[in-house]
Amino acid sequence: MSGLPLQGVTIIDACIYWAGPMATALLADLGAEVIKIESIQRLDYLRLLGGWPSPDGYEWSAVFNGANENKYGITLNMNNPKGKDIFKRLVKLGDIVTENFSPRVMENWGLSYEELTKIKPNIIMLSMPGFGTTGPWRNYVTFGPNVEMVTGMPIVSGYRDGQQPFMTGYVADPAAGLMGAVAVMTALQYKHRTGKGQHIDLSQIEAFTSFMAGPIMDYTMNKRMQKRRGDRHPSLAPQGAYRCQGDDEWVTIAISSDEEWGRFCDAIGNPAWTRLQKFADALSRYENHDEMDKNIEKWTSKHDKREIMQILQQSRVAAGPVLNYGEVLSDPHIEARGFFETVTRPITGTHPYPGFPVKFSETPVHIRRPAPTLGQDNEYVLTKFLGMTKKEIEQLAEEEIIGTKPQGWPFAMDAEEAIARLKEIHEGKGGEKTG
Amino acid sequence: MTGKALAGVKVLDLTHYIAGPYCTKMLADYGAEVVKLEKPGSGDPTRSMAPFLHDEPHPEKSGLFLYLNTNKKSVTLNLKSATGVKLFQELVKQADILVENFSPRVMPGLGLDYQTLKKINPKLVMTSISSFGQTGPYRDFRATDLNIWGLSGIMYELGEPDREPLRIGNNVSEYVAGLYGALVSLSALYYCDEASKGQHIDVSIWEAFHTMQPSMTVVYSYAGFIRKRAGIRFPWGILPCKDGYVGFYLPTQIHWESLCALLEMPELREKPEYETPMLREERREEIAAIIVSWLKDKRMEDVFHAAQELRLPLTIVPNPEQLLHTPQHKARKFFEDIDHPATGKLTYPGAPFKLSETPWHAGRAPLLGEHNEEVYCERLGYKKDDLVKLREEDII
Repeated sequence: MSGLPLQGVTIIDACIYWAGPMATALLADLGAEVIKIESIQRLDYLRLLGGWPSPDGYEWSAVFNGANENKYGITLNMNNPKGKDIFKRLVKLGDIVTENFSPRVMENWGLSYEELTKIKPNIIMLSMPGFGTTGPWRNYVTFGPNVEMVTGMPIVSGYRDGQQPFMTGYVADPAAGLMGAVAVMTALQYKHRTGKGQHIDLSQIEAFTSFMAGPIMDYTMNKRMQKRRGDRHPSLAPQGAYRCQGDDEWVTIAISSDEEWGRFCDAIGNPAWTRLQKFADALSRYENHDEMDKNIEKWTSKHDKREIMQILQQSRVAAGPVLNYGEVLSDPHIEARGFFETVTRPITGTHPYPGFPVKFSETPVHIRRPAPTLGQDNEYVLTKFLGMTKKEIEQLAEEEIIGTKPQGWPFAMDAEEAIARLKEIHEGKGGEKTG
Repeated sequence: MTGKALAGVKVLDLTHYIAGPYCTKMLADYGAEVVKLEKPGSGDPTRSMAPFLHDEPHPEKSGLFLYLNTNKKSVTLNLKSATGVKLFQELVKQADILVENFSPRVMPGLGLDYQTLKKINPKLVMTSISSFGQTGPYRDFRATDLNIWGLSGIMYELGEPDREPLRIGNNVSEYVAGLYGALVSLSALYYCDEASKGQHIDVSIWEAFHTMQPSMTVVYSYAGFIRKRAGIRFPWGILPCKDGYVGFYLPTQIHWESLCALLEMPELREKPEYETPMLREERREEIAAIIVSWLKDKRMEDVFHAAQELRLPLTIVPNPEQLLHTPQHKARKFFEDIDHPATGKLTYPGAPFKLSETPWHAGRAPLLGEHNEEVYCERLGYKKDDLVKLREEDII
């Protein structure tokens, strides 16, 4: 045993973008050997997101580099019969095939689940397109933001007095990926017991709609359409984000009971307003939330956000600072747990990356290798798995079936200039409101 | 027992609220036998959380509880009594997986830490889910979904620049941590089958939720900038139409061109001030105004289908009513009607993924203590008289 839970499990991973790669990244973290396939003709699109429009920008996508750790990376032109043949030979050696294309893509390649079972009868296949593999909308295009939209979550999110539904724009992708990893483990458990593989049909939209259970049940039980309520709880008060000492500094406070409210009042020194009848119980506090918030902010605005966490947590009140990403990186608790791991990668150099968010007493999970550069493991995989000779591999490169440089990468901006522009957009001009 | 993916897997469920119950729901819905231990009298606090059927607070009518506890068995047990602890240990002996989401000091306080339980059952997988994890300076701190959003880094960049940061949805961080719990429990079980060794697993909700945006800390390290709150960030947006909302995402130039085609405004493509994504980002308000005036008299589904004809990632943004009537969900039978003795038939979100050989099973949530007799008598061999005595002593 290598000491990793999924040691010995091999995954042939055709996933691109974010949701699918996230699923296989988690399985790779847990010890599965994941062979990620992209092509020089069509890069994994995630390489374009979050990178810079510079000549080597496809290696600078933080989101790609985070969602592909612990994987082996090869390139394969699947539109070439030789490329497709290599894919099939890899399937034969794999336990699991994963993909998140539109359903027609694998079918058009002749690589549907039925076809794959002819190559490997007990294969597990995870298909995770946006709308699932069946139904009238199955071939519709969705990206992560669309998935979040179609769940209806934006309708119950946003400022109470705001005009617009609101959303994160990204959270559905990794969440659906996480569900994909759970799905694979479920099927793997079944295979372990019975020897049988199966096809997993995961609609990213259905997966993320599960997170909407509260508002959905409220509708099916009471025909109520929940409304946007910002950071407030449906019934408990006070809950919200409060301004602290400093510029754009905030603390979240979430009081869940009368007892916790009492402890909160003690912790902030029982100012006179806390004894008013209109804040005496949860219902009246909820009704007078706005006024209560102003009073609370009088106290929070005089203190540092971390100091407030310490004061309130000493009194067993749920409170925490709103951290920006830089502050998350250097948080003492996060550091004490060793959540971020420092990884050195070709081209990008040495940086901290979020580790696996779960600690195992017997089988610790770590970042063992960084996300592959384009085509990084072509030779290793083709030699080790398929026993190809150096000459055969050179021939494949000549025919552009494999490679390490993207074809038609359109960007040529100087990296530093590109970063400066991004910085300006994200830091300097944040004051504009959107329509 | 065949036909269920996780048939034969025995889970002891000492969870409450959302993250823990969602973890064990995933296992139960795909066929594991989940025995949920609840506090005698009141049970899982989620039983007293809204929404309730007809807004009537009742321990068997909380929509959230009903959803989060499908396919489980409920047994009551008072862990603060010595007999309760003994019964628990007997159950541990028979379990493959134990899931708990108390604050980290609770289980050791009850004398039920992993080291003790390991002696009873060396192959036990014990999954602990907590806000901050089992170690570190904040381990005993309290946190709700809202606090976790704040700590994750995600909330800082969501919302308007001059207003407070926003979180999204309802308890998203708890669902995420629950899914991690299911993933790692199954992984450790897989390892245990191979290595005959259980283990203790420590899921931190904070760290789990941070992985829903794992790239911005890396961007910070690569390039040294932090995104400020900027409202809705182009190139995506949600805009009103005649009967609801639609949302779009324009990741590439081709998608921008498809949008111009949808609007039947090819001239927008020619405008130098909209030529690149960065320029469009700067003029997003102007562009949104053009789209809004075009959408005004159009129905959301019509716009959706027309856009998709052009391969433009534009979708509906449904309210709960519209969501339940989505043709795609109907065709795939995503929503399931589940009957329950206290509420009758209600519609629930169904299978989050479909398995070709071992379909998801739409069972209901248990009544409080519904399976006491089955578990204590049939499983542990107690007599019915014993149960009466245990009940009198407030142990079950």
